[in-house]
Amino acid sequence: MLSAMSPEALAYPFLFLAIFFESFLIVTLLSAPARGARARRPASSDAALPAVAVVVPCWNEERTIAGTVESLVALDYPKEKLSVILVDDGSTDGTAAAMSRFEGHPQVSVIHKENGGKHTALNAGIAATNADIVGCLDADSFVEPDALRELVPCFAEPRVAAVTAAMSVHRPANLLQHMQNAEYTFGIAFRHAVASVNGLYVTPGPFSFYRRAVLEELGGFRHGYQTEDMEMALRIQRAGYGIENAPRARVYTKAPSTIPQLIRQRARWTSGFLRNVLGEYRGLIGARRHGALGVLILPLALAAIAGSVLLFFFMLFTLMRGVLAAIEMRAGIPLSYALAPHGSFDWFYFPASGYLVLGAAAVLASLSLIILGKRLSKTPGNLAVGLVSYTFLYGFIAPLWLLRATVDVALGKRRGWR
Amino acid sequence: MPLVTRNVLIALLVTAALVGTVAYAVDYLNRARVAELSAIEDQISIDTLSLDTQFSLLEAAPCDSAASSTALTGELADLGGRLAYAESQLGSDNAQVVRLKQQYSLLEIRDYLITKQLAAACGTKPVIVLYFYSNAGDCGDCDKAGYALSYLRSTYPSLRVYSFDYRLALGALQTFITLNKVKDALPAFVIDGKASYGFTSLAALEERFPKGALTGAVTTSTTPGL
Repeated sequence: MLSAMSPEALAYPFLFLAIFFESFLIVTLLSAPARGARARRPASSDAALPAVAVVVPCWNEERTIAGTVESLVALDYPKEKLSVILVDDGSTDGTAAAMSRFEGHPQVSVIHKENGGKHTALNAGIAATNADIVGCLDADSFVEPDALRELVPCFAEPRVAAVTAAMSVHRPANLLQHMQNAEYTFGIAFRHAVASVNGLYVTPGPFSFYRRAVLEELGGFRHGYQTEDMEMALRIQRAGYGIENAPRARVYTKAPSTIPQLIRQRARWTSGFLRNVLGEYRGLIGARRHGALGVLILPLALAAIAGSVLLFFFMLFTLMRGVLAAIEMRAGIPLSYALAPHGSFDWFYFPASGYLVLGAAAVLASLSLIILGKRLSKTPGNLAVGLVSYTFLYGFIAPLWLLRATVDVALGKRRGWR
Repeated sequence: MPLVTRNVLIALLVTAALVGTVAYAVDYLNRARVAELSAIEDQISIDTLSLDTQFSLLEAAPCDSAASSTALTGELADLGGRLAYAESQLGSDNAQVVRLKQQYSLLEIRDYLITKQLAAACGTKPVIVLYFYSNAGDCGDCDKAGYALSYLRSTYPSLRVYSFDYRLALGALQTFITLNKVKDALPAFVIDGKASYGFTSLAALEERFPKGALTGAVTTSTTPGL
């Protein structure tokens, strides 16, 4: 039983929200719209396929651009209906030279321009094509050959303005990348469930596609606080269109390999989210006409940021208090006794507080969604290391970028891309 | 009903059911803890009565039953550890915890008296510490003192430590405190009949024991009854 003043009491509302949202995702995955989306078959008739252009904005991507383009030209799609537009956004490394390899390729065109930011590169690429469907692919990402055929049928409904893919980490090597792979796989389940109730608020850089007419109507990409994909998705939602998801359209992206890189990347995403949602798109929050996005997804996303930071401080406080009390209590006692375990395992001493059990339930639900994400996207590979690292690392690292982003937004601080 | 609304309601029901189940399970476990404490307490009550009876029966040769007293002290220490954990989980003001602590304190006092009687009859000098603490938040050094005593009890197995919550509302305990002249300055120790107060370090605590008493306690533990 908790005493009334226990700091644990602060954690309960957020644990409740976390479990509620995970339950909502699972229930929504089992509902008819998501089942229908999973039953959607990939496009088989070449004649009915629309013309598609994929824009690849590049800024200093000399190491990965060739692999990205090779995966695109290897897509199982009629060659006369698929074009690839590489946009060199004023790279200062060997990106231009790497691109020149593809200049003679019949499906590939290359644009060089002065550096102006990712949104300007995307707009330049879109302006260079007349294709009905325009996609983008970050220059550090790679697609499966059948990804585009999985994706295109989602545009059959006229209300659909954009379609997102199923992202995973490309060849995770260390624990941090395995952790991100598990998180991305959670994202597959999340995106699939939320798309079925039109609640997506981001069309990620790796392999999201747009109806060209809608992009023109809305005025192309904007800076969007360095999250042009989020800003565009929010603009599409505000205009009343739908954003779909193709859970078996698999794309792999490079993930940061160090904690500072990861924090920098995620702080950029989170601060972009906060600046967009609390700024120009504040009207979406709580708006019933925007359905699940307005009344559920955006409010819960904001609560998740606040809750994660709060839970992190609570966890840190509890841990530090326990460690300091243990050190203080053991001061002057011989280490042979102070460090040795005492007693044997006894159920009587099992620390079953409501906080711990509910926390474990929330983690278990997350792991279930990760496994669901892997199964419904048919993503290959072993997730065991990812599940372990996600369970034990994510809760300690994620609050760091959430905190940094929150502080940046509160202080009006802007940071560079990398 | 719109799909989102329906799914939200189902998710709320699932979450409420899960939270309710967890709350019930935690409460069940806590009740099981209390039940186990009660069972141990009942056993020790029987042991105490048994010891009393043995002592009465063997008045002619009381030292033959000394080993029984040592066994009871071990059980008391185990019960004390469980009771302290239950108190940390259920709260100091929990009625069941308070009742169990009252019973536990009575058992301790009874065991202390028997130990003293046996010592007088057998001519031994067991090293006994009466330790008075408080969980009311007014004793900053009580945790450290309790841990140091645990270390001493582990190092010197024949050392008898009896712990009492100074604030516990129990007539017998208050009489015991008065008889031992223990002031309200916690943590308080009564070692070899002398009261001392406060805790600074393990070394300082050890100095309060009569010279050679702790090392001698090891000897008495190997030859109980002498």
